Amino acid sequence: MQIITLAVVLLLLASFGYRMGRGRALAVGGGSGRSLHSLPSYHGYYVALWCGAPALIVLVGWLALEPEIIRQFVMAALPESLRALSPEKMSLVINEVRNVARGDATPSSDAVAVGAQHYQALRQTGFASVAVLCLLMAIGGLGYARSRIRPELRARNDVERVVNVFLIACSTVAIFTTIGIVLSLLFEALRFFHAVSPIDFLFGLKWSPQMAMRSDQVGSSGAFGAVPLFAGTLLISGIAMAVAVPLGLLSAIYMAEYANPRFRAFVKPALEILAGIPTVVYGFFAVITIAPFVRDVGALMGFSVAAESAFSAGLVMGIMIIPFVSSLSDDVITAVPQSLREGAFGLGATKSEAIKQVVLPAALPGIVGGVLLAVSRAIGETMIVVMAAGLSANLTANPFASVTTVTVQIVTLLVGDTEFDSPKTLAAFALGLVLFCVTLGLNIFALSIVNKYREKYD
Amino acid sequence: MKKTLTVAAALLASVGVAGAAQARDQIRIVGSSTVYPFSTTVAEAFGKAGKFKTPVVESTGTGGGMKLFCAGVGPDFPDITNASRRIEPSEVEGCAKNGVTGITEVVVGYDGIVLVDSIKGPKFALTREQLYKAAAKDVVIGGKLEANPYLKWNDISPALPNEPIVIYGPAPNHGTRDAFVDLVMEPACKAQPEIKALDKDAQKKACASVREDGGWVEVAENYTTIYQKIVSTPSALGVITFSYLDQNADKIQAATVDGQIATYDNIATGKYPVSRPLYFYVKKAHADQIPGVKEYIAEFTSEKAWGPNGYLVGKGLISLPDANRKSEAANAAKLGDLKL
Repeated sequence: MQIITLAVVLLLLASFGYRMGRGRALAVGGGSGRSLHSLPSYHGYYVALWCGAPALIVLVGWLALEPEIIRQFVMAALPESLRALSPEKMSLVINEVRNVARGDATPSSDAVAVGAQHYQALRQTGFASVAVLCLLMAIGGLGYARSRIRPELRARNDVERVVNVFLIACSTVAIFTTIGIVLSLLFEALRFFHAVSPIDFLFGLKWSPQMAMRSDQVGSSGAFGAVPLFAGTLLISGIAMAVAVPLGLLSAIYMAEYANPRFRAFVKPALEILAGIPTVVYGFFAVITIAPFVRDVGALMGFSVAAESAFSAGLVMGIMIIPFVSSLSDDVITAVPQSLREGAFGLGATKSEAIKQVVLPAALPGIVGGVLLAVSRAIGETMIVVMAAGLSANLTANPFASVTTVTVQIVTLLVGDTEFDSPKTLAAFALGLVLFCVTLGLNIFALSIVNKYREKYD
Repeated sequence: MKKTLTVAAALLASVGVAGAAQARDQIRIVGSSTVYPFSTTVAEAFGKAGKFKTPVVESTGTGGGMKLFCAGVGPDFPDITNASRRIEPSEVEGCAKNGVTGITEVVVGYDGIVLVDSIKGPKFALTREQLYKAAAKDVVIGGKLEANPYLKWNDISPALPNEPIVIYGPAPNHGTRDAFVDLVMEPACKAQPEIKALDKDAQKKACASVREDGGWVEVAENYTTIYQKIVSTPSALGVITFSYLDQNADKIQAATVDGQIATYDNIATGKYPVSRPLYFYVKKAHADQIPGVKEYIAEFTSEKAWGPNGYLVGKGLISLPDANRKSEAANAAKLGDLKL
């Protein structure tokens, strides 16, 4: 609470500094500020930054370092008997001191009670001194900046440089986060490859990762061959694309070429709704409605369909992907210049001949790019397959058998166990790395195709 | 000048993120997914009483919970672990190596392991020997150990349904898996003369390995996943706990094992063969330092929780006999040492 009060006071001082700086700039610049280099508001921001920024930095630094500093002081003041404890017991004692100081517990010994009072006193003096320091820095900054206000002061340049640095910091946060994710994946996957060779992992045919947890337990054989998983992922994604590409492309052609504007205005948003349905709802739909239906139809026709067939998962995934394909294709087809179509009509082509032989080839790179993006979406889809696909690895091309995918296995491996150095859990990182590389490669390839061939028809 | 200041601010902020751990005033419990429903009910009742914060209970599986529990002493490590099997000597050694030396064991009640399938599926009447033959990796055929050839239930016995063998069972991080192996697979396996002739290690491997060809599917998450899978696949069996069956009896049905139905009385009297006690373990070092641990234990071992008319029985727990309850409550209150 007190920290927030201090921060609010600093902000108020900064805004006061803004008004003061602006007023002073107007006064120095002769009434309307005509002879100033920068607008008066920039002078105001200059003063506000000088007032608020150093003080806020000191405050943030104190917030970060305070727990550790106070802990060292309290530990040094504890009696000899407590200080001689092992580090773990010591951390328990410190924990208790903190709890007693906050009033959440009763002290179990006098030493702890004294320690808690000491802790409270240290916290209060610490905060008071930091508050005084911050306020002094704020007022000092205020005075210094105000004294520098004169018509030649390049206030705008300085303020814009600070804003520039702030924007760069924001964007580097995003970049560093991405780099952090990739590095953490890479690091854990390398630990996995120390235990299991990459050749076994990438080309092995048996996936059976649930190994024993203790030395006297018997578990699975610990085979980490990922080929059945890749096969399962490709099978389900293949079925999904076989559903999504024809439906999406043909609906895009209809909406772009044949539909009247009213129909298009209604149907296009309706297709977008399919993209907005949460994937977990698709998973429910697949498990509760589609899978039993497919199983019953299969039983009627005489062949046995597994309860969690690749077909039902792929079908629902395809429905989810239709909007991706149809939206992207629609945009690309409408972007084909009308002159091409009119040229075709001029040469005597019918409407369907013009579409088949002129418009579609012109739009093909964009359509292919869109399909590749949809494929990378299908490969990385998790929720639908976790609910609708099976759990045991099965190397088969039969769409009515139960298969498992890379994403399902990542979920199973990471949700079940909690120790992070067995090959079982690290295998999830290796799978994640493979998935990341494949989808990254597909996305780069798709974008490069779209960019490379796009100019030709413009 | 301003750039340096802003960069310095960013550095300090990043240091702050890696700052010291906060003080912990909440009890942290990990462990068995079988004991999890009981532990959360006690935790909620305990938190509602108002004096302490509601404990945080995680369901990691008995094996995973033991690993976390034995990782060390201090506010970063859990205070209590639930278990659906007894702690093993190797785990006690592992604990001692990391400084966890004072452990108290509390037996909370019994639980049965049931084989369930969807109500829409066939009714199964199994013996433990048939279960072993369905689940094992290698079985004895013509005097030798060979890979399990049984693909359908009626391959094992003509009386069983004509359905492919698919069993969804807990993965090795669950205590229920160890209990299933101890109570079903090992007795049936070791009754065969060919197995008795092998040495101890080979016996253990032969009796505890489950098939990896798709007949047994390892489920590492909690029982809800097994329940979902068997409800969507009418002929598949799932290995879950009695408490789960008790709470979901409208969608699933249990198979009889060795002719016995799984009911409260059959498990309490020991007639149903696949039942085992449930435990939780407490770190004595934490009991004094973390506020509320002793009171949580008192709540769990009170008659209104674990007695025959307690709220835990309403959740599917099977109470210990009266004398055992009294002695366990007394031992827990004084934090007696673990005696294996």
